[in-house]
Amino acid sequence: MYGWIWRHLPGNVWVRAVVALVLALAVVFVLFQYVFPWAEPILPFGDATVTGAGGRP
Amino acid sequence: MVDPESEPSGPAAEPEPAVSEPEPSEPEPAPAVPRLRPRSRTASAVSVFGELLITAGLVLGLFVVYSLWWTNVLADREATKQGNEVRDGWADGRGGPGALDIKNGIGFLHVPAMKNGEVLVKKGTDLKSLNNGVAGYYTDPVKSALPSAKQGNFSLAAHRDGHGAKFHNIHKLKTGDAIVFETKDTWYVYKVFKDLPQTSKYNVDVLKPIPKESGKKKPGRYLTLTTCTPLYTSDYRYIVWAELERTEKVDENRTKPDELR
Repeated sequence: MYGWIWRHLPGNVWVRAVVALVLALAVVFVLFQYVFPWAEPILPFGDATVTGAGGRP
Repeated sequence: MVDPESEPSGPAAEPEPAVSEPEPSEPEPAPAVPRLRPRSRTASAVSVFGELLITAGLVLGLFVVYSLWWTNVLADREATKQGNEVRDGWADGRGGPGALDIKNGIGFLHVPAMKNGEVLVKKGTDLKSLNNGVAGYYTDPVKSALPSAKQGNFSLAAHRDGHGAKFHNIHKLKTGDAIVFETKDTWYVYKVFKDLPQTSKYNVDVLKPIPKESGKKKPGRYLTLTTCTPLYTSDYRYIVWAELERTEKVDENRTKPDELR
């Protein structure tokens, strides 16, 4: 998978390394900005309140 | 067995062919390099599967970084901003015990034993509000009393981890420790008298005006802190109860009460 991506990046080794780094940072950005904030309320790690049966705070 | 003199030449010599290898256009002595043999379908599938597992591990690791670090950065920034707005409002003469500035928060909680500075307190305990690094007072399922009320239970919630983690050190609170709530005009000095290290998240009785589990039987001016426990999860709730000891008028210099000095 990663080998396939690497082979399809343009340019020489240095250009590929830079492009790969930018791609990786873009993925991290998307995760932090959109995916994790969406996933967090679904996961049971951060509830701090007591609540009546059924209702999520 | 191997002459130590010859060793440095070994690793040094090896990278040379490795560097030239990525050029596929070069004519190669094909049979000598087994890596170039077309891999079997199974091997490719296993390889992709392995890479997916590694990726999943990295994403989970990043989620931990996000939860325990990045949300704190964002929340602290937002809480500082909102706290400054409240203090600016007080300086301009808005807010106060009679006309609590509900929208921008009613005051600041100081808990010296938690060593986390001041925590802005706002109305409501919905996640969106708590995620800004503030503590919220309950409006539901049991309506909180305000500190200025003659009697009742001032009940607060805040995050244990992430999003400011304002109640992270709640387990450091011991009986007799001070909890000070600061409004525009008044310092409310509470003293911890009971904690409940683990209770069900459905135990809403802890918020009642007379929280029986704390051992109190008569109405009084109580304070309840709630947050999740154990650390890093939220299977249960951690409760700390305190009772109002005295109030102090805020003077011109906002001189802090003895407990905060």
